[in-house]
Amino acid sequence: MTKKSRGKWVSLLLLSMITVLSVSACSGNSGSGKETAATNKPEQSAATGGEATEAPDELKPHKLTLVYPGTPQTDEAVVEEALNKLLTAKINATIDLMPIDWGAWDDKVNLMIAGRDVIDIYFTAQWNGHANNVSKGAFIPLNDLIDQYGQGIKETLDPAFLEGAKINGKNYGVPTNKELASAGGIVYRKDVTDELGIDMSAVKEPKDLDAVYAVVKEKRPDLVPLYTNGAVFNAHYFGNYDFLGDSTIPGALLKDENGTTVAPVEDSARYQDYLKLARDFYVKGYINADAATTQVAPQDAWNAGKVFSTIEPMKPGKDAEIASAAGIPGKTAQIIMTSKTVATSETAGSMLGISSTSTNPERAMMLINLLHTDKEINNLLNFGIEGVHYTKNGEIISPTGKTADYSPGSAWMFGSQFLNYVWDTEAPDKWEQFKAFNEGAISSPALGFVFDSEPVKSEVGALANVIRQFQKAVETGSVEPEQGLKEYRQALKDAGIDKVIAEKQKQFDDFLASK
Amino acid sequence: MDILYGKFQKSVFRKYWMFYLMMLPGIAILVVNNYIPMFGILIAFKNINYTDGILGSPWTGLRNFEYLFKTKDAWIITRNTLLYNGSFIVLNLIVPLAFALMLNEMRSRFLAKLHQTIMFLPYFLSMVVVSYLAFAFMSDEHGFLNTTLLPMLGLDEVKWYFTKEVWPYVLPLVNTWKWVGYYTVIYMAAIIGIDEEYYEAATIDGASKWKQMTRITIPLITPVIVIMTLLQIGRIFNADFGLFFQVPRESGVLFPVTNVIDTYVYRTFLTVGDIGLSSAAGLLQSVVGFTLVFLSNWIVRRINKDNALF
Amino acid sequence: MESIVAEKAPSASNPQNKLSLPASAGIHLFFILYSLFCIIPVILIIMVSISDESTVVREGYQFFPSKFDMGAYEFLFKDARQIIRSYGISIFVTVFGTLSSLIIMALYAYPISRSDFPHAKPFTFFVFFTMLFGGGLVPWYLVYVQMLELKDNIMALILPLVISAFFVLIMRTFFITTIPSAVLESAKIDGAGELTIFMRIVLPLSLPVLATVALFQTLTYWNDWFLSLVFITKDANITVQYLMYKTMLNIQFLANNSTAAAAIQAAGGTFRFPSETVRMAMVIIGVGPIIFAYPFFQKYFVKGLTVGAVKG
Repeated sequence: MTKKSRGKWVSLLLLSMITVLSVSACSGNSGSGKETAATNKPEQSAATGGEATEAPDELKPHKLTLVYPGTPQTDEAVVEEALNKLLTAKINATIDLMPIDWGAWDDKVNLMIAGRDVIDIYFTAQWNGHANNVSKGAFIPLNDLIDQYGQGIKETLDPAFLEGAKINGKNYGVPTNKELASAGGIVYRKDVTDELGIDMSAVKEPKDLDAVYAVVKEKRPDLVPLYTNGAVFNAHYFGNYDFLGDSTIPGALLKDENGTTVAPVEDSARYQDYLKLARDFYVKGYINADAATTQVAPQDAWNAGKVFSTIEPMKPGKDAEIASAAGIPGKTAQIIMTSKTVATSETAGSMLGISSTSTNPERAMMLINLLHTDKEINNLLNFGIEGVHYTKNGEIISPTGKTADYSPGSAWMFGSQFLNYVWDTEAPDKWEQFKAFNEGAISSPALGFVFDSEPVKSEVGALANVIRQFQKAVETGSVEPEQGLKEYRQALKDAGIDKVIAEKQKQFDDFLASK
Repeated sequence: MDILYGKFQKSVFRKYWMFYLMMLPGIAILVVNNYIPMFGILIAFKNINYTDGILGSPWTGLRNFEYLFKTKDAWIITRNTLLYNGSFIVLNLIVPLAFALMLNEMRSRFLAKLHQTIMFLPYFLSMVVVSYLAFAFMSDEHGFLNTTLLPMLGLDEVKWYFTKEVWPYVLPLVNTWKWVGYYTVIYMAAIIGIDEEYYEAATIDGASKWKQMTRITIPLITPVIVIMTLLQIGRIFNADFGLFFQVPRESGVLFPVTNVIDTYVYRTFLTVGDIGLSSAAGLLQSVVGFTLVFLSNWIVRRINKDNALF
Repeated sequence: MESIVAEKAPSASNPQNKLSLPASAGIHLFFILYSLFCIIPVILIIMVSISDESTVVREGYQFFPSKFDMGAYEFLFKDARQIIRSYGISIFVTVFGTLSSLIIMALYAYPISRSDFPHAKPFTFFVFFTMLFGGGLVPWYLVYVQMLELKDNIMALILPLVISAFFVLIMRTFFITTIPSAVLESAKIDGAGELTIFMRIVLPLSLPVLATVALFQTLTYWNDWFLSLVFITKDANITVQYLMYKTMLNIQFLANNSTAAAAIQAAGGTFRFPSETVRMAMVIIGVGPIIFAYPFFQKYFVKGLTVGAVKG
C-alpha cells in the first residue's frame, strides 16, 4: 500500500463515517421519544392529543398492539376479529395480538424495547427484567392512568398487588389478578401410595419424606422418587427466601420470619439443613442422578411416566394441572409443606406494562381495565370463540375438536383470572379455592421493594456465573455439601457478594425508612 | 457520492465513473448494514436509557468494561477462549489440509467426492442438534459410550458431564468434526487449482510424494492458508457460543474448562439485562481481533510480501 | 458423477506418480471410517425421528429402536399449511437473495480487482473492515427497523446477508488471477464501455466462481433462522428453518433458565414440549431438502474455488 493510497483510504473512511454520522444522528432523534414515534405514523398521531378528556363514544379508532410470550395460534386472526367487534363497541379500538415464542422472547423483546418499536402493551414480570427495563425507561408510570381509566382494576384487584408491584413508589405494570400467596410443597402419585399402602397424612415436612421414598424406591424401581432438574428444598419458593427482586442476585430475607437483614441464603441454618437433607436423599438414590445436568423438565418427566414426586410452587389444583398435562388425571395429590407468604415475586410475577413508545397510553389502559372486568373479552382472549374452540355449560367449559387451534394457555398474563371459565378437568370451585388460598398469607417485610442492580452490575454479572457454576450441583445434593458449599461460598466472596449484599441492605433500609 | 466527488481528481472520476456506479449498491448496503451500526460502539461507554436514546444517555466511561476484569473468572474465561480458539485454528488448518492432501491422492474421483460430501454433513447441523447428538453418546444413563462402547473395551463408566478432564478434548473434537468438511473443500479446491506441470516436472526429477507435497503443494496454496488463518485469528477472542453453551449442557462442574468470554457475557446479560455490558465485551473482542490481524499480517508481510492479505 | 474434478486431477492422472498400494489402502480405510463417523449421527437423528416415543424415553437414542412409529411426521404435517407457507418463504428468500447477492457482489468485486483503478485498495479495505468490526445487535436492529422500516418485511430476511465480505474477496481474487488483462485491453481498444466488458467478457469467464458463491449463498440463506427471529413477529413470514428451530429454542430457554421456568410455573404457566421424536423430525424437515440437494450441486464448488481462492 503506497503512502498516497493510504492517505486516500483514510479520507474515504472518514468521509463515509461523516455521512454515516449525519444519518445516524437523525435516526438517533427519531428513536428518542414518543413524539417522533407518532410522526412516523401520522394516522395515529392525530389520536394522541387531548384524548384524556374525551368520552368513549368520541374516541378515534386506534389499533392496540399487545406483545406477550406464547406460541402463535392457528386461529389467532379469527379471535382477533371477534375481539375487534367487542373492542370497537366499547373503546373504539382494535387489537393486534403479537405472541412471541419463549425461546425468542428475551432476544426479541430486548431488541424491540431497545429498538423503540411502537408497541402499546408488553407482558412484563419481576423475574423477566422488569426493574431493569423500568430504570431504562421502557415503561411509563401508570398511577394516573389507573386512577382515570382503571377504576375496574382498583375495584377488583387486592390492593396488595398494586402496592407490591411498585418501583420507587410508582406502578409500571398492572399485575394479573390471581393467587397472591405462594408456598412450596410436593406433588406425588397418589395411585402409587395407595397401591403400596403408604400413609401420606403423616407427611408434614421434607424430612418425613425419607420413609416414603425408601418404600417407593424399593417397591417401584421404575419410578424416580423425587425428580428434579435443579432446585430441591432450597428453591426460593420452598425455602421462603425473598431475594428482593431477581432471585439470581444473591442476598435474601427469610420472608416468613419478618427479618430485615439481608444476608446470603447460603449462610442461613435453614439452607444448610435443607442441603444436608437433599444430599442424604441424593446419596440414598431418591433423587435422579443427573439432577444437576438434565434438560428434561419435571413436566416432561411426568409425561414420560417415570416420576413419583416433584417439588413444586404450590397453589390449589397444582396436582390436577400436572396430572392432566401428563395424561394421568386423578392420579396425583399435593402436600403444602411451607407457610404461605406474599412477596414481590408474586405480586409482580405477571403484569401488563404500557410501553413508553405507545402512541395512545390511555386506550391501552382502557384495554387492561377491560381485561380485569369484562368477562366476555377476557375469556375470548384466553379460550377463543364459544361453540368453536370450546363448549360451555355454566362456567364449565369442555374442549372441542378445534380447541388445539386456539389454546394459548396464557390466562395468567391477562387481567383477572377470577373471570376465567374453568375446564371440565379442573375443580369446579377453582376460584373459590384460590380466594381461600390467598387468605392468611404472611406478607414479606420487603413487599413492594425491588432491588436496583445498576450500582453493582459488574459484581452481579460475575456472581451470575458463579451461581450457575455451583448452585445446581450443590443444591441437588450431587456433590458433598461440606466441601461443595465451602467452595461455593468462597467463589461468591471472590466475585464480590459482600458488596452486593451491602448495596441491597442500603437500598432496603432506605425503602423501610420511606414507608 | 456527491460529497466524495470533490475529494477525487476529476479525471479519475470521469474515467472510472462506471466503476463507482457498479459499486454503488454494494457500498450502500455496506454502509447501512455495517458502517452505520458501528456507531453503536458508543453504547459500550454509556449507561443506556431507552427514552433518551443512544446519543442522549449519560456517559459512564469504562464502567461497562469492569466486570470483564474484576474477578478471577476473568483470567479463566480469557485463558479458555484463547486456548480453545488457538487449538481450533491449528486443528482447522492441519486436519482439513491433511484430509485434502489425502483425498487428492485417491485414484477414484468418485470415492473422493463421496467422502467429501459426507464430511460436509455435520456442517448442516445446528449446535443445538449437535448437543443432542453428543448427549446421545455421553449421557450417563442411555449414552452409547457408557452402555455399549466402554463395557465392550472393559473400561469403567465415565460421568462425562461431571468430568472436567475430558472436555478440553471433547470440545475440539466436536468443533473439528463440524467444520472439517467445510475447510477441506476450500483446501481441496486450492490444491486442485495447482498447475499439473509442476508435478510432471517433479516426477521427471524423481521427487518423492512427500517432497512434492512439501515443496510444491503447500507453498503454492500458502496464500489460501494465510487468508483462512488470518480470518480466524481476527475472531480469536470470539468463542463459538453454540459450542460452549449448548454442548456442555450448562453443567456447572465443567465451567472451569467450558466458560468462555461469550458464555460469561451471556449469563451476565441474563441477570443484569444491560446492553452496555454486552456492547463493551463485543468492542473489546473486535479491538483485540483487529489488532491481532494487523499484527499477524505484518509478520506475514515481513516474511513474504506476496502472501500477505493486504 | 461427472465433474470438473474428474477432468483435472493432477497427480492421479499421471500413472507414474501414484501412491504405493498399502498407503493407498490405508487412505481408503481411513476415509471410510471417518465418513462413518460423520454419517452415523445423522442416521441416528433419522432413526430417532421414526421411533416410537415411549421407547425413546425409556431406552434413550437407539440406532435400532425396538419399535418404529411415524407419529412424529404425522404430527408435524397435521398443520401442513404453515410448513408449506414457510417452505415458500424459504425458497423465495433463497432464490431472490442468492441472485441479488451474486449480482451486487460481482459488481463490487470487479472494480476492486482492476489494478489500474486507483481506488481499488481503499474499497477493498472498505469491505474487508466489515469482517473485523461490528457495531452490535441493537444498533444494527435500529437501522433496519427505524431507518428502513423493514420490520415484518421479507426484505429484512434478504438484505443483511446480501454482501459477504469473504466472498467479495474471493471473487476479486478470481477476477485478478483468471481474466487476462490483454483481453480487457483489446476490448477497450474496440471501444467497449466498462459495463459492456463486465457483462460480455468478465461474467462469462467467471462462471465457476459465480457458481461457487451462489451455492454457498444458497446454503446461507436456506440455513438462516436468526433474521426471522429478530425481524419477524408474524408466523406468515418466517422461514422453514426458524419454524423448526424455534421449538428447539423454546426447550433450550426453559432448560437453561431454571429461574424463569420456575417463575413462569409459579405464575401459572405450563409448558408442553414436542416429544423427542418430533424434535428430530423437525431437524430433518428443516435441513432435509438442502442436504439432499447438496450433492447435486456440490460438484460446482470445487471448480469455482479452484481458481478463486488463490490469492492475488
